[in-house]
Amino acid sequence: MRWPSWKVSIGFRLLLFSALAVPSLAQQAADRVNVVHVVGLRGVKENAKGTLTVENGNLRFVDSKAKAVVATTAIEDVVTGNDSQRMIHGSVGTLTMFAPYGGGRFLSLFRSKLDTLTILYRDSDGGLYGAIFTMAVGKAEPLKKLLVVQGAHTSTPLQDSSSGSTPKTDAAREQKP
Amino acid sequence: MKTSIQVFGACLLVLTISLATPKWRVQAAPPLVSKASAIQVLMIQSDEIKLPVEFQISLYEHLIQQLEKKGGFQHVYRDGDKNAAGVADLVVLHSTVRGFKKGSEMARQVTTVTGKTSIDVHCQFTDKDGKSVLESDLNGKVMFFGGNLRATFDFAKKAAKLAHDNFVAKSGS
Repeated sequence: MRWPSWKVSIGFRLLLFSALAVPSLAQQAADRVNVVHVVGLRGVKENAKGTLTVENGNLRFVDSKAKAVVATTAIEDVVTGNDSQRMIHGSVGTLTMFAPYGGGRFLSLFRSKLDTLTILYRDSDGGLYGAIFTMAVGKAEPLKKLLVVQGAHTSTPLQDSSSGSTPKTDAAREQKP
Repeated sequence: MKTSIQVFGACLLVLTISLATPKWRVQAAPPLVSKASAIQVLMIQSDEIKLPVEFQISLYEHLIQQLEKKGGFQHVYRDGDKNAAGVADLVVLHSTVRGFKKGSEMARQVTTVTGKTSIDVHCQFTDKDGKSVLESDLNGKVMFFGGNLRATFDFAKKAAKLAHDNFVAKSGS
């Protein structure tokens, strides 16, 4: 049984379209990151939870109450780091400190790792601002790359994603047998 | 009768002293260096000490927040703000980190007595021409509750109080 040519053509087009669509969806997922704003964004409260997106040359933070936009070209430095926090944090975490028999202290041993993203930027008057965000592990470096691609400056070199968290130099690679 | 008069006299003396003490305290307060309508906060410097960038930013942002919260200055300008150039009675705050010990939040919560985070900062206030008008060493620390960055908040509160006490004209004075 032979397939009509128009069906084959449509099938190919669908395959091609889906192949092109998958990376763009992945790109979207990488752009939108759930973060906690620690300090620094004008008009946004400390410890506000929201999403951070990098699009059209802007870094955009949105939470339920506020929105802040920073032009990527105004960013003078982007630095990533890491930290940790208690698994049970916030007010509940503080209350667990009063748990009997050192239960709160025991719970403090369970911690989750975090990535931090710190940016330095200037407003239209030249005033210097600094903002700190925390996010899930592995999210900060891709965000930094996006910012740099769209015009932000950085004082620390970008990490190569293929080399993992500890980038090796070319000399170190060459020494391997 | 004589004893009751003595007791009454002693009570009166104690009352007089307790009422007079706050007045002495007010008189003993440091004199105002010079009035300033605005303050400019420069970015925290840490050339000698290796300070993580998030601590540097947190120190700077909390310092500005606390100065705005404390009030007294008409404007709190940030580093590089062009509008500060036009202010005649501007005071500029230069902060240099002289010591830093990063503790551990986990150690603080588990042991209570260890894991303290501490930051020592040298604060220099200058006038618009760069002449030093006040210098002081301040410390920020977190000993029990909160993350390590809370030490920056502690420092900021002290620095804002120092600026307020020395450069803001009190009402009625």
